[in-house]
Amino acid sequence: MYGFHPMFMTAEKMPLSRSAIIREISDSPLKINLMELGFLPGKKITLDHTAPGGGPMAFRMEDTLLALRKSEAALIQVQLL
Amino acid sequence: MTESPTHPLVKTPRIAIIGNPNVGKSTIFNQLTGLNQKIGNYPGVTVDKKTGMMNFKRNTYEIVDLPGTYSLYPNSEDEIIAHRVLNQLNTKEKPDYVLMVIDSLQLSRGLFLATQLIDMGLNLALVLNMADLATKRNIEIKGFEIFKALGVPILSTDARGEKGLDQIRELIHQRNFGNTSGFIAIEEIVDKSLLQNVKEHFNLQNFYQAYQLLRFGTKDKTISAENRSWINHQLEDQHFDLDAAQLEETKLRYKKITAIVEKTVVRKEVKNQESSIDKILLHPVFGYAVFAAILLLIFQAIFAWSSVPMDFIDGTFAQFAGKVSELLPGGPLSSLITEGIIPGIGGVVIFIPQIAMLFGFLAILEDTGYMSRVVFLMDRWMRPFGLHGKSIVPLVSGVACAIPGVMAARNIGNWKEKMITILVTPLMSCSARLPVYVILIGLVVPDESIGFINLRSFALFGLYVLGVVGVLGTAFILKIILKTEEKSYLMVELPSYRRPRWKDVGLTMYNKSKTFVTEAGKVILAISVILWVLATYGPPSKMDAIRTAGQEKLALAPESEHEVIEAETSSLLLENSFIGVMGRGIEPVIRPLGYDWKIGIALIASFAAREVFVSTIATIYSIGGDPEDDLTIRQKLDQQINPVTGEKVFNTATAFSLMIFYAFAMQCMSTVAVVYRETKGWKWPLIQTTYMTVLAYLAAFITYQILS
Repeated sequence: MYGFHPMFMTAEKMPLSRSAIIREISDSPLKINLMELGFLPGKKITLDHTAPGGGPMAFRMEDTLLALRKSEAALIQVQLL
Repeated sequence: MTESPTHPLVKTPRIAIIGNPNVGKSTIFNQLTGLNQKIGNYPGVTVDKKTGMMNFKRNTYEIVDLPGTYSLYPNSEDEIIAHRVLNQLNTKEKPDYVLMVIDSLQLSRGLFLATQLIDMGLNLALVLNMADLATKRNIEIKGFEIFKALGVPILSTDARGEKGLDQIRELIHQRNFGNTSGFIAIEEIVDKSLLQNVKEHFNLQNFYQAYQLLRFGTKDKTISAENRSWINHQLEDQHFDLDAAQLEETKLRYKKITAIVEKTVVRKEVKNQESSIDKILLHPVFGYAVFAAILLLIFQAIFAWSSVPMDFIDGTFAQFAGKVSELLPGGPLSSLITEGIIPGIGGVVIFIPQIAMLFGFLAILEDTGYMSRVVFLMDRWMRPFGLHGKSIVPLVSGVACAIPGVMAARNIGNWKEKMITILVTPLMSCSARLPVYVILIGLVVPDESIGFINLRSFALFGLYVLGVVGVLGTAFILKIILKTEEKSYLMVELPSYRRPRWKDVGLTMYNKSKTFVTEAGKVILAISVILWVLATYGPPSKMDAIRTAGQEKLALAPESEHEVIEAETSSLLLENSFIGVMGRGIEPVIRPLGYDWKIGIALIASFAAREVFVSTIATIYSIGGDPEDDLTIRQKLDQQINPVTGEKVFNTATAFSLMIFYAFAMQCMSTVAVVYRETKGWKWPLIQTTYMTVLAYLAAFITYQILS
């Protein structure tokens, strides 16, 4: 639905050091785990680090740094700021 | 309700400490209980049960440290425990009061669990820990507002700085816990009649407890099969979608929490929080360089520092055995004590320095927040082999010793990844293989250099590389074989860097060593005694004849030859003992690897521990004097000639075949014992020992056939 809009994307496609607002978490068995950690619609996340070779990504949300695999970040739909 | 134990005057109040991971929960537990701790097991899982006693104002309180969890929805073994202990059904484990620790910087995440506890109707108090960090970041938290919103007592502490701990003790002493329920109304999400049914059937206090039981009761093996199927029927009758309800609950809960946090947290200034240390430590190149450097430093330290206490333990037990044998009258009982039991205990105790040190270093890395960075960096490279980023800790530990490595595998949440990690860790080249390698390389590899590379160092390095190849290859195969429905995921917090708490590091070292000695120690001791029996006894007539002959020789020979004769006699005795018989028995099997029956004896004896190989062949080839002096052993071995072929027994092919065998074979009963403990049964240690032995046999066979 939002695929064509350049500002709407999933979190694994975010450029390094950029921030985004979470729009929604896609349905998945891991959805609940992500929400527990605080990945909730409306929250602001910043991509601080990525591990080389397509490894995990570290997002800063409020005062914590949280690492997710790319496949998990792909569940987070965001709007780039 | 929960305040009415059967004997109010006798029963010690039990307080459970719970919280998210990395909130300083264990620090508070350690501060409250000190060395008054006990580590037990929860039935059916490998999670350590940490309990301790707190003495305050002449009263005693039992404190239980629950594993860190983000919610009451269990995802890993650890979290199931938290769930089970707080479940009202289990009256034996159930705490009277719950103290929940919250990271001041992560208020909303903490409140998520806290409000679930409130809804469970538990007697709760909250501790806002790391208050110092919040102040440093100019964040003000209005504790009284939170109290007004939730209705449970709340305290502010800085456990690392030991601030506010007396307030916690006082709070526990005053039983200042609050019991409110209904933060959210679960009956708005879940059908009320269903909840009512469950509530009545199990005699529960509120709807939220009923909901939790519906959600997880079917997976909780402590609930009777009958009751579990009853729950299942209820769910089926109502066509109830649990996942949807859980999502609804999560959303609703967070919505209410966000409203509270907005009212209670004041951020005076927002600055960019990105850590400059992480720019280096998580750097795609420097990050790995720093990790490699830290590893190197740790191994240097372990090899250099642990050898001193290990030599000391070795010497002390040898001396002690000597003293005891002088004091005791001769005979089989005294021999069992001095040659079986004391060395057996020594064989357990000797691992303590390495285990304690390794866990000390791991605790420091963990405590500073660095370990989760390593997981972040390594995850990508471990996954193709069916391993998890967290597997790096056990594997790295395995280079020193597989035992702490296997023990460290337990915080991998996914069953399959944890099993693979446990099964492959003993293939890493541990320090006990070193004496075997050194003596065999010394025999067949010339001490020459090609360019800068010394051939002996190169051979040793090659054996370490072989270990890593073995680990990755086996892991890859296991990844294909093992099946699990669990989804592998990596969601870790990379906590702010902090200085390590030395007291906690010390306690970790102490507790891990103690667990090893008490749990694995029993098995190791038992096997030591069995091996002693096999090596001491044999067909009686033959053994007696050898002893008599030896004594006759001794009587006739001059003093100077006594040592040689004694060595020859003990060698003959070993050859004819049951283990000797076994050695001859397996000779046809090990012949294709280039081994004779004497090496066979050493192989069997060194099942206890690899390094026993060196001392056993020293005895078999009747080498007098100090078995620690490897020069003597090396020269003696070099002189051994095969009577059939007329060639050296330890030629290049045999020596390399042996090294390859030891690279892959299990040959360590301590590891077997630890795997037994960590996997809760004999199935996996048996499978592991079998495949490692088969792998070792095949690899040694190929090596020998190519080289000879």
